Amino acid sequence: MNEEKVSCKDVMSHICESLSEEMDSPKCVAIKDHLENCEGCKSYFTSVEMTIDLYKKCTETFPDDVHKKLMAFLELNDEK
Amino acid sequence: MNEEQLIASAKNGDRKALAELVKNYGQTVYSFAFKVCRDREKAENMMQETFYSMIKSLHQFDGNSKLSTWLYRIVVNHCLMEARKSSRYTFVEQETDDSLFDEKYIADWSTLPIKNLETKELRNILDSAIDKLQPEYRVVFTLRDVEEYSTEETAKMLELSVPAVKSRLHRARAFLRNEITKAFQE
Ligand SMILES: [Zn+2]
Repeated sequence: MNEEKVSCKDVMSHICESLSEEMDSPKCVAIKDHLENCEGCKSYFTSVEMTIDLYKKCTETFPDDVHKKLMAFLELNDEK
Repeated sequence: MNEEQLIASAKNGDRKALAELVKNYGQTVYSFAFKVCRDREKAENMMQETFYSMIKSLHQFDGNSKLSTWLYRIVVNHCLMEARKSSRYTFVEQETDDSLFDEKYIADWSTLPIKNLETKELRNILDSAIDKLQPEYRVVFTLRDVEEYSTEETAKMLELSVPAVKSRLHRARAFLRNEITKAFQE
């Protein structure tokens, strides 16, 4: 068992990188344990993931005329 | 030609190769600039400035990083410089950690009617949340969570320390998530 005690707040404000040394630190091990057993934090992370997914989907289309203007600005419009 | 060959040719003054590079990265740079600037016209300007800088300093590109990483660094700098001209963002800075990571926000999102929402409505909620986020935080969130660069890479691109990136990332995530939760609770 782990000696380190973490609260939900600790879990929310700590990032465990996938770098091996950090993942294995007592703090991150304790956070993983907490996450596995805490519905609140699990749902927090799910919601963060959903936020990120939503944001990823918000890509702007790159209109043709914007591209044309770019090439003209760079004086590259004759190349191609 | 692969990218390496394109870069080499462009460095030697081949304008076709240069045009090809610009074409390949136009969409990437534009949508990143839009994510940070939140304005089509500004995003377009930032994109133009970015490629203009790229052309001017391509000879300095040493190939030690990916061209995309190098371009991100340029576009980030342009966007942040632009953002500093208008200082209308203060929201995240004003929030303390205690208010950002308040346990009252541990709402169960599975009960929020996200799936039933029209995409447009959801997009509006997300847009207004992101608009409130300071560009410095938006940049970290976008590089780290959307473009999936590591914390170290993000830190290097932004010339920030790793702990500073982590702190901004956490605050950005919590802020966005809380704003979305609030929009649903209203
Ligand atoms: Zn918890």
